[in-house]
Amino acid sequence: MRFLFNTGRTVAQGIGLDRKSGTEYAGATSRCMMNPVDMMDLDVESGDHLVVRGPAGEVVLSVVPAEGTPRGMVFVPLGPYANHVLGGETHGTGMPDFKTQTVEIEPTEREVPTVTELMEEIGGVAYEQGARP
Amino acid sequence: MIYTDMVCPFCGCLCDDVVIETEGDRVVRVDNACTLGTHKLMTTRKDRLKGPIMRDGAGGWRDASYEEAIEYAAGVLLDADRPLLYGWSSTQGEAQGLGVSMAELLGGVIDSTTSVCHGPSILAIQEVGHPGCTLGQVKNRADVIVYWGCNPTEAHPRHMSRYTTYADGFFLQNSFRERKLIVVDIRKTETASIADEFVQIKPGGDYAVFSALRAIVRGRGAVVPPTVAGVTKEQLEKIAEICKSAKFGAFFFGVGLTMAPGRYKNVRNAIELVDELNRHTKWTLTPLRGHYNVYGSNEVFTWMTGYPYAVDFSRQIAFYNPGETTSVDILARKECDACLIVASDPGAHFPRKCLEHLASIPTVLIDPAQTVTTPLCRCQIPTAVTGIDASGTAYRMDGVPIHMKAFLDLGYPTDTEIVGRIFEKVKEVRHP
Ligand code: SF4
Repeated sequence: MRFLFNTGRTVAQGIGLDRKSGTEYAGATSRCMMNPVDMMDLDVESGDHLVVRGPAGEVVLSVVPAEGTPRGMVFVPLGPYANHVLGGETHGTGMPDFKTQTVEIEPTEREVPTVTELMEEIGGVAYEQGARP
Repeated sequence: MIYTDMVCPFCGCLCDDVVIETEGDRVVRVDNACTLGTHKLMTTRKDRLKGPIMRDGAGGWRDASYEEAIEYAAGVLLDADRPLLYGWSSTQGEAQGLGVSMAELLGGVIDSTTSVCHGPSILAIQEVGHPGCTLGQVKNRADVIVYWGCNPTEAHPRHMSRYTTYADGFFLQNSFRERKLIVVDIRKTETASIADEFVQIKPGGDYAVFSALRAIVRGRGAVVPPTVAGVTKEQLEKIAEICKSAKFGAFFFGVGLTMAPGRYKNVRNAIELVDELNRHTKWTLTPLRGHYNVYGSNEVFTWMTGYPYAVDFSRQIAFYNPGETTSVDILARKECDACLIVASDPGAHFPRKCLEHLASIPTVLIDPAQTVTTPLCRCQIPTAVTGIDASGTAYRMDGVPIHMKAFLDLGYPTDTEIVGRIFEKVKEVRHP
């Protein structure tokens, strides 16, 4: 199904802001808030996984019912998960499509990746502070 | 030790009434700050890098000395044809100033996180002006508050208690009851649930709703159709009446306007609505700025170069063209060949397309802690956190500069010191 992809700040995402390697942050930013009626249409329940496809690629998120989200829209907290599907188009303003992208969403059995896995997929190299000699 | 009147280094509210208690070099208690601020202050030692790190050339990382990392950073910048110096929102004004000087000498581009948050607001302000005021005026005078396309409960948790709904006002008898709260958003947020009037707009409808309100305020309501972007004319008329009969109105907006379709045109229309309302009574407008010193980057860049962000020095003069010289565009076009990131986390906030390029060029990160950007860079230099173990200047969202005090010493150099040392090396090769 097609959805308008809306991203923004939440307290939980903000708390993780200064400690982004933590699992708290991953949990807070990999949620996909969706109207319960849309969830029925997709036949998913709270905590099920969804694959979201946008112009730059796809990402797996877990769904959370949210009455306040209008039908046809999903809300995903600002962060590496949301950005993983976004392209670089700014329409001449410098601002990417953080709230105006349409995406394709369907249920999946795949796991939600970690933030490190997302970065590695893009070409990054994971760093482990504890593993230092 | 108990430190009073400390400034919270998290969001643009820059709350300056925070009480911090330490034992040795640990924070044991924080009073007055919100969840976000408290969390940042309490966990400040977690995830901090012990020292600079660099890629080891074999698919991993190794430790480096500050001297080596600084040498590397300067070398990368000097070798580049089009270096990008990005970030600057969670650091001190002093470091921002040095960054501008260095970008000029390098002929590079300097941009702050503004370009992906309130850049469009600035474009609108450049077109039609900024009817602003300090937050003290709002706190003491405003009897109508509008929050449009923002969610202060989540993003600026003390904004309402320090400056609006829950704050005592000098010129208001019973502030909580006298202040009307209007919330406009595309979804019913937490802030919306406590509003006197909540207006739910269909996504992308902000511009039309502003135009309708302007028409009604101007006495041309007859041209407005029965519903505008999902909002009834009746409700629009009610809102317009509340706004017109305010003694002092304060309009706050967030990235819900700057990121929606129309981008800066939405903000322009908001400013023009405020302009219209000022023919009846007093109204002001303030963007809710996110990072604690992102406004400072605009101030510092502007008084040094004439432009608030996205400043390109490749022509040997300051050139500014958002959409072309903004970081997301430069990265998406794969234009820059080196990047210095200071005190920000594009790994978490940039579209994937931009990050792919960032990971493919020499990128140096100056940031106290391990972040999402860490895996994408080639070298990271940890520094002290302004407001915790470094002192410096930051600008509140209303443009008031505030001195941030330090209360810990964890032995890290400041951003100013690191940027300054890189700049010194650059100057040895490229004379000003
Ligand atoms: S509102 Fe902002 S500045 Fe104030 S305590 Fe919370 S995070 Fe800190």
